[in-house]
Amino acid sequence: MPESWLRAFIAAGRTVGLNYAFLLDARERASWLRGIALTAELSVLTILCSLLVGIALAGLLTSGRPWLARPARAFVELMRNTPTLVQIYCAFFVLNMLLNQLVGGAQNNPLTAYAWAVIVLSTHYGAYHAEALRAGIEAVPRAMRESAISLGFSRRELLAHVELPLAFRFALPSLFNNFVDVVKSTTLASAIAVGEVTYASLMIWVERDNVLEMMILIFLVYGVLTLLVSRLGILLENRLRMPGYGH
Amino acid sequence: MPPAHQPPERPPLVELRQVHLSFGSNHVLKGIDLNVRKGDAVSIIGPSGSGKSTILRCINGLLTPERGEVVVGDTPVHALRTEAERIALRKRIGFVFQQYNLFPHLTVLENIVLAPVRILGVARETAEREARELLAKVRLADKIDAYPGQLSGGQQQRVAIARALAMHPELVLFDEVTSALDPETVGEVLSVIRQLVEDGMTCLLVTHEMRFAEEVSHEIVFTDGGEIVERGTPRDIFHAPRSPRTHAFINGLRN
Repeated sequence: MPESWLRAFIAAGRTVGLNYAFLLDARERASWLRGIALTAELSVLTILCSLLVGIALAGLLTSGRPWLARPARAFVELMRNTPTLVQIYCAFFVLNMLLNQLVGGAQNNPLTAYAWAVIVLSTHYGAYHAEALRAGIEAVPRAMRESAISLGFSRRELLAHVELPLAFRFALPSLFNNFVDVVKSTTLASAIAVGEVTYASLMIWVERDNVLEMMILIFLVYGVLTLLVSRLGILLENRLRMPGYGH
Repeated sequence: MPPAHQPPERPPLVELRQVHLSFGSNHVLKGIDLNVRKGDAVSIIGPSGSGKSTILRCINGLLTPERGEVVVGDTPVHALRTEAERIALRKRIGFVFQQYNLFPHLTVLENIVLAPVRILGVARETAEREARELLAKVRLADKIDAYPGQLSGGQQQRVAIARALAMHPELVLFDEVTSALDPETVGEVLSVIRQLVEDGMTCLLVTHEMRFAEEVSHEIVFTDGGEIVERGTPRDIFHAPRSPRTHAFINGLRN
């Protein structure tokens, strides 16, 4: 963006009493822009990883084998029934510390705060996806399952080629509901000093005392990201619509 | 040497001996004896709830009898224990359902090639060529890229038959395949089955289409209350039944 536009924007802000002068400070501007990039990156990564966790958990939950389904159920309940922020603290201040001791010091620990945020948010939301996918898998007609089995499908092939493709379609609205939530939840990573947009903004407003101004920007950033995610959901729903099925 | 006019005795491809099965307190099969010789078309008829579909499900291992033996070729189906053994059996047996059960998220072509490619390991090109041939055979060549939801019931059922045939089965089981169809589409499905029987495919049909059963079958089996009441040629069963129960059932349909 040319500097002249920036100055015009800042001047316009000033006329309504908003102080966006930090945009002219190269260091502050860079860290804030990096915050936006990190938020976007964290969102995409967490959506993908949480989906993998969800698929695995849904597979276990619907396996029909108690020794697989029961631990998966316990894990889902644990993840859903404790606050996300507490899980992040617990992972970073307890598990990470234990890991530090295990590998002989923080300098040997490959897991950063950022990595912990991805891990915790992915497992947390994976539990929600698993429930959405389980509902989808259970909505697959029994007769459909019987016909695939009669063709010689194994349990795994049935899941991969019939149950999951159908379950994914049935679960799509719920999944994207969760994905929107994932985007917003990345703000929790600020609690362990991951420099995403909330944390980056916080760093700016403690110095410049421009809380309202930064809040407006934060709302805009999350608003745009969640809008993109929900648009993608609608796009996928149309793309994956099964012609003539159910309507 | 047997007289020239007698066909050589063909070995049974499917044999059921004293098969018993219950669902809870409901004793569905009470000692079923049945055999289907290679190349024969056998129709099972009888009132609803007489265990007809259950017999088919015992043959491809979807259900396991509590007592008795089910043998397909050299395979003792009743004794199969692992999933792998049952899969090996099911690859050899086509099953066509009342509700077609095509995969709604896949096109007609994908429905047909999925199992040959994924389960038999057939090259995709070969599977597609065979799928085209099968679709021509069931007269649906122009629907290759359609989705199941875009087809009529009769068309879906013909795709389901093509899907079963794509696995090169030794035997095809038909479970009331015309019961869910509009009357005007029944004929197109039956003519596909008739063609299969003429081609020498071994077929075991559960059906309510009595005229069709009479016309295509080598043998008719009448079941009632989980038992086989009577079996014989179509002529015997439909025109000279020995059992009063068979007689009552056939007459009940006529009136």
